[in-house]
Amino acid sequence: MNAIRRRQFIRQLGVSTAVLPFLTGLPSLGLASPVRPRQRLVIVFTPNGTIPGAFWPSDQGRDFKLKEIVEPLEPFRHRTLFLNGLANKVRGDGDNHMRGMSCLLTGIELFPGNIQGGSHTPAGWASGISIDQEIKNYFQSRPDSRTRFGSLEFGVGVTDRADPWTRMSYAGPNQPVAPISDPYQMFSKLYGQMKDKENVQGILDEVREDLKKVRKLMSAEDRKLLEQHESLVRQMEKEMSAPEERKLRAVPPSFEEGIADQNDNVPRLSRMQIDLLVNSFVNDMARVATLQYTKSVGQAHMKWLDIKDGHHSLSHEPDNDKVAQEKLVKINKWFCAELRYLLDRMASTPEPGGEGSLLDNSLVVWTNELGKGNSHTLDNIPFVLVGGGFGFDMGRSLKFERVAHNRLHLALAHAVGHRIETFGKASLCDGGPLSLG
Amino acid sequence: MSQTRMLILARTLQAACWIALWLGGLCSNLEAASARSRDPGREIYRQQCARCHGKNGEGVPGEYNEPLQGDWSVEKLARVIERTMPEDAPEKCVGADAEAVARYVHQTFYSREARERKRPARVEVSRLTNRQFLATAADLLRSFGPEDPSVGSERGLHAVYYNARGFDNERKAFERVDRQINFEYGTGSPENSHMGSTEFSMQWRGSLLADETGIHEFVLESPNGVRLWLNDDDQPAVDAWVASGGAADHSFKLRLIGGRAYPLRLHFFKFKDKSASVRLLWKPPHGVLQPIPARNLATTRSSPTLVLSTSFPPDDSSVGYARGVSVSKSWDESVTQAAMEIANHVVKNLDRLSRSQAEDKDRLAKVRTFCQEFAQTAFRRPLDESLRRSHVTDHFQTGRKLDDAVRRVVLLSIKSPRFLYLGLEGASEAGYNAASRLSYALWDSLPDKRLFEKAARGELNGRENVVAECRRMLEDPRARAKVLSFLHHWLQMDHLEDLAKDPQLFPGFTSELIADLRTSLNLSLEDAVWSESSDYRDLLLTPSLYMNDRLARFYGVGVNATDDFVKIPFDPRERSGVVTHPYLLAAFSYPKSTSPIHRGVFLTRHIVGRALRPPPIAVAFKDSDFSPDLSMREKITELTRPQSCQSCHSVINPLGFSLEHYDAVGRLRSFDGDKRIDAASDYVTDDGETVRLTGGRDLAEFAAASGQAHATFIETLFHQLVKQPIAAYGPEVFSRLRESFLASGCNMRQLLIEARAVSALYAPGKSAATASKPRS
Repeated sequence: MNAIRRRQFIRQLGVSTAVLPFLTGLPSLGLASPVRPRQRLVIVFTPNGTIPGAFWPSDQGRDFKLKEIVEPLEPFRHRTLFLNGLANKVRGDGDNHMRGMSCLLTGIELFPGNIQGGSHTPAGWASGISIDQEIKNYFQSRPDSRTRFGSLEFGVGVTDRADPWTRMSYAGPNQPVAPISDPYQMFSKLYGQMKDKENVQGILDEVREDLKKVRKLMSAEDRKLLEQHESLVRQMEKEMSAPEERKLRAVPPSFEEGIADQNDNVPRLSRMQIDLLVNSFVNDMARVATLQYTKSVGQAHMKWLDIKDGHHSLSHEPDNDKVAQEKLVKINKWFCAELRYLLDRMASTPEPGGEGSLLDNSLVVWTNELGKGNSHTLDNIPFVLVGGGFGFDMGRSLKFERVAHNRLHLALAHAVGHRIETFGKASLCDGGPLSLG
Repeated sequence: MSQTRMLILARTLQAACWIALWLGGLCSNLEAASARSRDPGREIYRQQCARCHGKNGEGVPGEYNEPLQGDWSVEKLARVIERTMPEDAPEKCVGADAEAVARYVHQTFYSREARERKRPARVEVSRLTNRQFLATAADLLRSFGPEDPSVGSERGLHAVYYNARGFDNERKAFERVDRQINFEYGTGSPENSHMGSTEFSMQWRGSLLADETGIHEFVLESPNGVRLWLNDDDQPAVDAWVASGGAADHSFKLRLIGGRAYPLRLHFFKFKDKSASVRLLWKPPHGVLQPIPARNLATTRSSPTLVLSTSFPPDDSSVGYARGVSVSKSWDESVTQAAMEIANHVVKNLDRLSRSQAEDKDRLAKVRTFCQEFAQTAFRRPLDESLRRSHVTDHFQTGRKLDDAVRRVVLLSIKSPRFLYLGLEGASEAGYNAASRLSYALWDSLPDKRLFEKAARGELNGRENVVAECRRMLEDPRARAKVLSFLHHWLQMDHLEDLAKDPQLFPGFTSELIADLRTSLNLSLEDAVWSESSDYRDLLLTPSLYMNDRLARFYGVGVNATDDFVKIPFDPRERSGVVTHPYLLAAFSYPKSTSPIHRGVFLTRHIVGRALRPPPIAVAFKDSDFSPDLSMREKITELTRPQSCQSCHSVINPLGFSLEHYDAVGRLRSFDGDKRIDAASDYVTDDGETVRLTGGRDLAEFAAASGQAHATFIETLFHQLVKQPIAAYGPEVFSRLRESFLASGCNMRQLLIEARAVSALYAPGKSAATASKPRS
């Protein structure tokens, strides 16, 4: 990378050498150069199945063309893996949307419960941990990959409810992890204490002035207490302005105020969340992230694409409804373009203190709870992998014959050095990790 | 030394940790006072030491410059004096002489207590205590919301039952009041005659009434869909709408301020689950995990209260009551943390607080108005123009985000001395000063709107106005909470934690039972204070105890089985007020046996009101040192037989022995082992009068009529309320309070009002003579 380009990156990112110390008591950011190259995992979810004909490449192997939905991935084609033929084979309670969602990353049955879907028996939460949380726990258990949060769960337009259709990430059996849909809330989780500190610093001067004024009204004996107080304020001022070892590599993105968490703002919310996600990676706050667009059965109304229908309703339309099919292709292509934005950001961000870009040290997985919307099939679940972080042989279109998706999860775990024998439902792990090297 | 001074001394000495049970050279204040005139130590000091150390230990330039102060014990001082003093002839002051002079030096000016005593009492500027900070923050935010209706007398929660899984009004089955949430429906339904069992749902709403301040643990148990909101109308504390895999416990912790009501809503639904049940349990401070009792649930609505989660370093309690006389780095950091917590809360609730929405045209103006009101309420007085600028409007500069401007105003307000300190007297603000003194004395919190308005109109001057306002304020639940906390302090209940007894010897004395006993004692205390007569003597003399079914069974009382506490009259010879309440009897006992010394020390200091000095030598009671044939009374008598012990144990023991009819868990008994109980002994009062005490009732009757006991009660109450030394309000205040207490028939509410009026009407000039005296 030449010098001019590097400066551009810095400008783009707003990276500066400004000292942005934290309030006391925060764990170390661990921004020293890594002993081993960092590995990161991002799982991007978009709902309601895809349009297979406009999604899956016709060819296998290295020489394949991108169909319409995935056109935005063209610049990353050589770093992409299409995994056709993976199936979510988990059965039991819950309808396909529910199992599609809550078994997607867990690979294990739902508990019996009280939530009734469109068909089948009512169900509860997944009965096991999801792969993102499994890998996060593995990273957090090792000093060289431990970070402040371990994992961050981003949402875009996820409705404010908790049920098996809205949760794919599980910290354990019956422990769904709620994605944070409001970028301001995520911002405050990541940087809130820092902002608090800036504000405190901003008023200490006035507090001292105030103490001086008030002191004058008092008897000599009472004054001592206030003088003591004043010296404490001075001490705090001094400590807060002292340069600290811990710096942020990238300043937090600055957001326009008041973008409400609602349907029409989804395009802007999406970009804000992606900016935050990349920013949190640069500051090494987490090595695992999920980015969930709406939810299974999500009803985004993509007016910005001139589509007035709800996404889920459209996805039920039959294959011969050309208008609906076109709209669905457009919707899925829009999701793909958001993925592209994420990839662009990651590819143009240098690996902090290391070699290459963020994307070189990360794997982004794009997936969906259904293979196809109108059939509700759990076969041929979309799995598209991009990035160089997991040592897979990228730039290929692969075809499997109804292989359980648990084996992909095993491959992800093994790629970070976490050599588990099974993941999720053990009987679905026959054959071991998918061989993607 | 004046009576008042003596009491302050007494209080100071009490600060020593007596619970560690020290025995030995204790002596009562009376003895100390009368001994003074014929103190040989004083004579020796004058003759042999004053030449170099000064008449009062202040030092003599050129001889021994430093004042004689330190923290050695009397023994150590005596040893050093014997070896080294006087410098030219150490042999001149040895043995009993050295000991006498050491004792004199120690108690006159050397020790910390002596120095504290010599400092003139004055009303000090002090910062908010932790308790006050917590309540002030809560009420500061509440002042922008609606006033809650009175909690009323109906207990339990309002319930609506639906014959469907959704809350469909068409399918509403019935409404009723449920006293507790503790239901097991099995495979059936709440009302099999009215409702199906496949699907049904319920909504409960009302308020939770917290008794104590602190962390409360909650557990919501249900295999079905449940959602619980507690002290937060938006964010559920438990969101388990998805039932999953059968029975589940949802637990969380919440800090609550005692004596207040918190909004509670619980939603439930069942759909095709195998079974249904729902239980809501809590473990309050000093309590055990159990279904929230009906007495802590009310059907009325309340609005949320901000209860800060920031913890503070403990307040200075070295003089016997918590007061804000010192600041420290950790305190400053806690204040900052709390200020950020409040700022975040304000920003999160800005729409409601400022009565405006983000998109409103007049948003900025409304938010600024809110900020002004916030600062004014926090400072407990109106803002002048320069304060308005520096503390509010200057922060709304262009380019700064509105949220950040609000944050800065809040941070600055909370970190300002105008918020943090009480007693910053501005001469022109007498009314506001009086309002603050009243509200902090009564509520430990800031003046409410009415008080603030009265201050603005200058209607808080003069005794009548103040007394009338006191009466109104006493009706507020915050006043009840404060009085209860005073009574807890008086009876040492704020420090009691472990009442557990040997389970072999006292089966059934479980932690549940101990929690019940505390509730029972609390009910008695509230009863006495808030009854018509509000007679202090009832606290000591009532022959009744509150009991629920569990207590009644344990204490062998026949009562209709019920979860509620009912007042049960006993034979007056068996029970007499707090001194025979099983909670305190058990608290001041060993795990295996009674402890007449613990009981005696407690009674001496808190009930009878005599001072005890921390003993210079420690003697532990070891049961195994004694022949098992001896009764506890005989063991203690033997242990404290030495003359050096007797000066104090002649007081402690008779009081402690008088309760020997009650075992270590407060049950009546006639035998201690094989020995018949002998509770009778002669108690010598501080006036030298001998009183025959044969049991708890004699003791209680003696205390109820004792001027010394009244004095201790009045003084403890005054200090807990006002948090300033009583002597600072002038020498006559104490005797005036005593007289009016007697004249009112020992009316506690009247005493509360009188004590508050004294502090509220205080004008700094009054005791200027004492205040301007230099410290020694």
